[in-house]
Amino acid sequence: MSAVLNDKQPARTLVSLRNLNKHYGDFAAVDDISLDIQDGEFLTFLGSSGSGKSTTLSMLAGFETPSSGEILVNGASLVNVPPHKRDIGMVFQRYSLFPHLSVRDNIAFPLAIRKRSAAERDKQVDAMLKLVQLDSFAHRRPAQLSGGQQQRVAIARALVYEPRILLMDEPLGALDKKLREDLQDELRQLHRRLGITIVYVTHDQEEAMRLSQRIAIFSHGKIVGLGSGYDLYQNPPNAFVASFLGNSNFLRIKAHGNGAASFEGQPLAMRLTPGLAEGQEVLLMVRPEKALALSVEQVAREALPAGWNEVTAKVGEVLFLGESQTCSVVTAGGTAMTVKALSAAGMPMQPGDTVKVRWAVADACVYTQWAESDLNKAAGAH
Amino acid sequence: MKVAINALQAPSGAATGAKGAAMKHTPPLRERWRGRRNLLPALLFLGLFFFAPLISLLLRGVLEPVPGLGNYEQLFANSAYARVLFNTFSVAGLVTLISVLLGFPLAWAITLVPRGWGRWLLNIVLLSMWTSLLARTYSWLVLLQASGVINKALMALGIIDAPLEMVHNLTGVVIGMSYIMIPFIVLPLQATMQAIDPMVLQAGSICGASPWSNFFKVFLPLCRSGLFSGALMVFVMSLGYYVTPALLGGAQNMMLPEFIVQQVQSFLNWGLASAAAALLIAITLVLFYFYLKLQPESPVGNSNAR
Repeated sequence: MSAVLNDKQPARTLVSLRNLNKHYGDFAAVDDISLDIQDGEFLTFLGSSGSGKSTTLSMLAGFETPSSGEILVNGASLVNVPPHKRDIGMVFQRYSLFPHLSVRDNIAFPLAIRKRSAAERDKQVDAMLKLVQLDSFAHRRPAQLSGGQQQRVAIARALVYEPRILLMDEPLGALDKKLREDLQDELRQLHRRLGITIVYVTHDQEEAMRLSQRIAIFSHGKIVGLGSGYDLYQNPPNAFVASFLGNSNFLRIKAHGNGAASFEGQPLAMRLTPGLAEGQEVLLMVRPEKALALSVEQVAREALPAGWNEVTAKVGEVLFLGESQTCSVVTAGGTAMTVKALSAAGMPMQPGDTVKVRWAVADACVYTQWAESDLNKAAGAH
Repeated sequence: MKVAINALQAPSGAATGAKGAAMKHTPPLRERWRGRRNLLPALLFLGLFFFAPLISLLLRGVLEPVPGLGNYEQLFANSAYARVLFNTFSVAGLVTLISVLLGFPLAWAITLVPRGWGRWLLNIVLLSMWTSLLARTYSWLVLLQASGVINKALMALGIIDAPLEMVHNLTGVVIGMSYIMIPFIVLPLQATMQAIDPMVLQAGSICGASPWSNFFKVFLPLCRSGLFSGALMVFVMSLGYYVTPALLGGAQNMMLPEFIVQQVQSFLNWGLASAAAALLIAITLVLFYFYLKLQPESPVGNSNAR
């Protein structure tokens, strides 16, 4: 039942969302989403608040009814099944433990509802307490536990009845950073050990990267990017995903034939992109850490390698951020760029210096269609 | 009536306060009683205007007409008096049951309806509480009497042939008092329900609880503290209620407060009246003791104190 085993098996679709919609009056909270969730995968819905990710999760849990569309689990429709018959586990943002029950009774609650025998109940609860390492807290009330411990109880309560799917709605959002990272590691190992299908909602992209096998990026009620964290980051499918995930430099260039372009009058090379018209404006995206900033002396020493681009810019600011350093530059045409390098590599520039910014042609993504709001980091919510 | 609510909430507050103090380091007795002289005016006031009349009243129960426990003996031995006690308890119990059964859905509705509407509903409940008690009781008389609106309507509809006797008996008392007591159960209950996190109920249902078992296993236990304090308040108030039983009740089926008034005003039998009053106080104190014992440390309150 380990993830390793799952990787070898052909992926089997467990849940599929078909043209799912949720409207509140004229407002489309979820706008025609179609998605297949594989059996045993860890999938994260990533998006800013109001992007429709939590509403989609609520529809999966059964707390919201879709305006239209289908939710299929193993091919059977779930739309008209009430939450208590869905056999889905859920962990809530504010834990939502039963305040009147002890930790043990909280975890035993789903089993008691299912009328399991006392002996079986005890056995399973004990196993769960061990799994989340709360054996010694079994008789406490939720109010007597820390936030991290409460969340572990919530996870145990959601897992004890062995649901097919575990939904998690920003479960670590209320915890501080250190604890959150510890629990993320625990959660990843738990998933690997149990092989359960997990759908996780978060607005924290680092958390999404750390945990999930696949990420679905939500914006304005739609899924705008779907894939592994690596693919989405290295090859964003559109400008929105590029600006949403991590940091990015956008350059407006004019295409001239295949693989050639000009940026502010200087010639540039770009990836081969089919279907480009002569003189068409396209968008080039370079990650700050893929770009290099070289001082005049460095440029004199190191010739431009084949397959690399180079533009001239003026240094605006150099920032030291601990393990890394960033350097903000502005080109002659007024395009702002950021270059990031590990501190160990050193950045000898001063504000006002003229530098050459270089990047490999293969590392720059090309977009032919984009909206101005896509380039804004804060976009994504309604 | 507001005072009654405060009085009921205060003991639980005081109890937790005392617990909190006990957990901390307790300073020596002399330290704690330093400045006790400042208490003197308050103690004097309480003693003079509160304890002295109360004690003199209770003393009458054992001193008049002859010293001894004769009054109490009479109270329990005489079947007519025992009947009064039985009436008092059964009416108080029935009123508590009915106001819980009617007040619970009302409190729930106030909690569930959208914000502004809930406030309106609550205001209506409060408004009825602030209207003159006499006016409300007399209006029940108008509604319930033989030639009243309800009887006329039922007869016009052909449901009954002769008017129902709904007033000047215990039926009338129970109806009138239940109506008056409902706000006292709705207020604490609504406050408790308001504090329940609706996500906890969602958690219950995703854990597999049907709406039915979610209600009994999650919602009701979380309402327990409000239900307890509301029901106790209604029961204790009902035991000592005078105006409504006097107006809506009959002469043959008395309740304890009416009995006390009758003994004092008609027979000038202060001894028996004060024995009955002492009994009422004793019952109330015993109930209060059990309330404090049984009252769980409010689970809702705890979960909110994050």
